[in-house]
Amino acid sequence: MANARALDKRRKSIRNIRKITRTMELIATARFKHAMDRASAASAYTDRITRLVTKLANTGLELSHPLLEPHETNENVLQLVLTSNRGLCGGYNGNVLRKAFENNQSLKETFGHCRLEVSGKRGISFFEHRDIDVDERFLHFEDKPSFEDVELLANRYLEAYATGTIDRLEVCYTKFSSIARQNATVETLLPLGELASEETSGGDGGDSRSGAGAETIIEFLPSAESILEEVVPTSFKVKLFKCFLDAAVSEQVARMVAMKSATENADELIRELSMTYNRARQGQITGELLEVMGGVEALKT
Amino acid sequence: MMAANHMEEGIDVTSGCRLVECIVVTPEETALQTPAQFVALPLFDGEIGIAPGRAPLIGRLGHGEMRIVEGKKTLRYYVDGGFVEVSDNLVTVLTNRAIKAEDLDPEALETGLEAARAKPANTGELMEIRDRAVAQSRGQLWVARRNR
Repeated sequence: MANARALDKRRKSIRNIRKITRTMELIATARFKHAMDRASAASAYTDRITRLVTKLANTGLELSHPLLEPHETNENVLQLVLTSNRGLCGGYNGNVLRKAFENNQSLKETFGHCRLEVSGKRGISFFEHRDIDVDERFLHFEDKPSFEDVELLANRYLEAYATGTIDRLEVCYTKFSSIARQNATVETLLPLGELASEETSGGDGGDSRSGAGAETIIEFLPSAESILEEVVPTSFKVKLFKCFLDAAVSEQVARMVAMKSATENADELIRELSMTYNRARQGQITGELLEVMGGVEALKT
Repeated sequence: MMAANHMEEGIDVTSGCRLVECIVVTPEETALQTPAQFVALPLFDGEIGIAPGRAPLIGRLGHGEMRIVEGKKTLRYYVDGGFVEVSDNLVTVLTNRAIKAEDLDPEALETGLEAARAKPANTGELMEIRDRAVAQSRGQLWVARRNR
């Protein structure tokens, strides 16, 4: 008798949990759409910058800039890890942190000093738990990282790289390739390396108007060199911003998937519990019937 | 990316007036897309005016005021560096931030300029960084003051 009631109680609590996970799934879906829109809006900017670089390269100008060249010294490296503030998003944080931890260890071996900067509560507690000092922590990048905030960060890195305080910048984040695919990756953002790799990826996406423009003579004001001087830091900033956006989108996808499977799991559990509950209840009824019949039999004699 | 429907060869079909298509893009959004008769932009070394039929151009922007003249209306924005690309009556402005002039607050900017001035400038790089911050604040302040 107590058994049936206990089962019912459990079933009720699972129903409540299911309600919560279902709501979280819906919220994550809405946030994901929002984050996705932002990411695609950002790509409009990136594409245009890429086209600009292509046009610059077409003029025969040699693309060289201090940010593109690696430093001669290999002493200070900065590692930036992007995680989420909140949990309940499946393997999202685990994956990126595992990658970051491995990377952190190998960087410590090759470089003299590794400065660690972490965004997101989850990442901070992970490194603290392992007694690794976190030099800088950010909590304000939620699911909507603003360019202004990222730019502040980017400017600081650019300053540090220009003045020689850091020789390399590595970013660990979850790259978003599609809804079904997000990979934890490590990217070296400083030195920037090649600008040319971007050209091939998105340079041909322009419409016919810009295609005609590529052949005509373009006036550079004040000069192509001066524009290059500005293009390189800008493309760094945009790249960093893209990392943040990707991380935000991936987080929402991960949460969406995790909550979806949690809801499905709850459904399954409820079904199983209902079955056991019904069986227990039936058993109880049968027992009571038998008791009554036994009583009647006893009265007859 | 495409010109508005009523535009043909840079000419507004409805009024017969020569126009350029002006697109302002920031990393977060496409801030503005509008046909215009004239666009004034703060280049790195001075202001440039772009009228319809301008030869192709790529320019580096400074920190200052962008004016877009459309009919009797003039839209005023503060643009924070970036680039401008002109080709075939299409003006694309790529900038970090485009803030409407009305949204700037002169008092807050005043303190911002002071803070920028107070930055250390004992090495070449630091000086460059400071100059940039000062130019930004000055540009914003200048745009804000023209509101009155």
